[in-house]
Amino acid sequence: MPDSLSAALATLRRRYGPRALLQGDAHEPVECWPTGIPTLDGSLLPGGLPRGRVVVVAAASPHGPSGRLTLLQSLAALASRTQELGYVDLAGTLDPGFLADLGADLSACLVVSPGPDRWERGMAMGRSLVGAGLPWLGLALGPRQPRPALWDHALAALAETVCKRGAVCVIAAPAPPPLPLAHVSSLTLTCAAAGWHRVHGDVTGLRVRAAVTKCKVGPPGAEATLLLRFPRPYAGAEVLGLPSVVAPAIAPAEPVPALAAAPG
Amino acid sequence: MRILCALHAHLGLVAALRRFPELRNEPVILGEAAELRLPVIAATPAALAHGVRPGQPLRHAQQLCPGAAFARLDPEATARLREGMCAALHRLAPAVEVGDGEVFCDVSGQHAVHRDEPAWATAIARAVAATLDAGPPAVGVAGSRLVARLAALRSEPGRIRRVRGGEEAGFLAPLPLESLPLDPAVAARLAAFGLDCLGAVARLSPAELQRQFGPDGALVHRLVRGEDGEGVRAGTGEQTWSERLVLEGGVGDLEVLLRAARHCTEALGARLDASGLAAGHARLVYEVEGGPPLEAAEVAPAPASSAAGAWPLVLGLLGRLQPSCPVTAVRLELTRLMPAGGRQTDMLRPGDASRDAVAGAAVRLRARFGDTAARRPRLALDPGDLPERRYVWEAPTLAAAARG
Repeated sequence: MPDSLSAALATLRRRYGPRALLQGDAHEPVECWPTGIPTLDGSLLPGGLPRGRVVVVAAASPHGPSGRLTLLQSLAALASRTQELGYVDLAGTLDPGFLADLGADLSACLVVSPGPDRWERGMAMGRSLVGAGLPWLGLALGPRQPRPALWDHALAALAETVCKRGAVCVIAAPAPPPLPLAHVSSLTLTCAAAGWHRVHGDVTGLRVRAAVTKCKVGPPGAEATLLLRFPRPYAGAEVLGLPSVVAPAIAPAEPVPALAAAPG
Repeated sequence: MRILCALHAHLGLVAALRRFPELRNEPVILGEAAELRLPVIAATPAALAHGVRPGQPLRHAQQLCPGAAFARLDPEATARLREGMCAALHRLAPAVEVGDGEVFCDVSGQHAVHRDEPAWATAIARAVAATLDAGPPAVGVAGSRLVARLAALRSEPGRIRRVRGGEEAGFLAPLPLESLPLDPAVAARLAAFGLDCLGAVARLSPAELQRQFGPDGALVHRLVRGEDGEGVRAGTGEQTWSERLVLEGGVGDLEVLLRAARHCTEALGARLDASGLAAGHARLVYEVEGGPPLEAAEVAPAPASSAAGAWPLVLGLLGRLQPSCPVTAVRLELTRLMPAGGRQTDMLRPGDASRDAVAGAAVRLRARFGDTAARRPRLALDPGDLPERRYVWEAPTLAAAARG
């Protein structure tokens, strides 16, 4: 490599940081926050939710339930047991009682309510909290999408702050996921309902088929079926004793070899 | 510690003379109401020359000076004047106490611009005079509040009386007993012993004074040495820093307004940087020709401690202001000033600093977007049957505040 090129590369790295220039075959290690759910950590995710990246949990279809918000709230409940978290409720569907039933430590939860369909404001508020040191942020987007021009710059700023602070950021998005969100996402988990889970005729959960449709930190294409077991209200012992997201009971979680080996 | 005391005209009297400028050289007596049995609060030099003194009944003052004009105390104008004085003096001293007729400033250490104590004291005296639009005050500087006040009383308007460290006893020695804030009964007994000045009392041992006066004896012993143990009782009033730029002939060009706002931001940012402070609130005011000023205010997403930090906030305010007529001046005000570095963390509390920083950010979000913007849920102690009664919302609080 010529000396002048080496000097130019060194200058760029000094000015814009070590991640400004990477070799084509360089594999940057990704730090992850393990969810503690074997199916997610082992099969779908690269050891957990990547820190410093935006993770999108998207619905596969605009019609019917997808389980993305329940999955987001389950992850938030898990995170609240060890750290402070923020939940930006743009969907307007958060029930803190349900969050408590999922086993969340409510004293560690900060609920941000920017108002319905105020995506730009919600992302800016989330960015403020992450910038202040919040290690875990969840955003629940509602079904009505404002024009991307109104909020895409706020999303880019949020992604930049998440990257700088090494925070975990999970965004639950409706179907189809908006283009700016799909672009910013480092890992997209697409959820499709696979049927209700019933016990003695009563609905006790939702079976969800989850697939990794985009992954910048590992091979995409992995699929698994999750059972989101609904907690019974006022049954604290049961909620505490049972994980809200359990290993697949309906279909075995097996990554598709051909897709798993595909380059990221 | 070094404390400066500046004696100036009563703020209520200054406010009254601003309202009635034609009375500036006339005898004016300030009282709380027209009720003649109430006491005189302050009087102009022309009225004082007739023997009027603060504390006299207004009826007596009227008899002493029949030609005097009586003005009522305007509490709102006086408070505005006090706030202006506080804001002006906070630029020069870290701790400021503004009374009705006197100002105390902490001048310990060294000022970055005014290198020595006389220069610093002169700057403060000029600021007092400029704020009140009056003549220079009488200033005293000493190691304690009591001695600084006595030095100011024995100074003259426009002069600074400094009592250096270790010289307090010599300064106090010839002063009469009435100079000290003592119980009149104690002062009378001291006078009965033939002790007519502070120096004579200072020669007594503390044991002798305590034997005669009990606990008051120890107080007398400390006071005659100038040890009052009180510093500057800094007010908790909100500081406001402002920068104003006058535009020649009125301007409607947005580019010029942008540059003017940038100039004000850089000036205030440099002051924030120099003082180690951060601003939590900004207000931008356009003064326009022939109309009320246009203004926009915003709570900062994060405290701005420099021009670079404050500029995005000011840009947002600029976008909200749409002047329809020429702007004659641009004024930027920064309030909610706080230390930029944050607080001392609890070393034994895991995640203390980050948790507090997040709570601080949430508090700012509530200030910007309303109380429902950021909340913490808590399970209700007595939940009802309805799902929404299972929890209650709480405002996020800083750990330091919660611990009291």
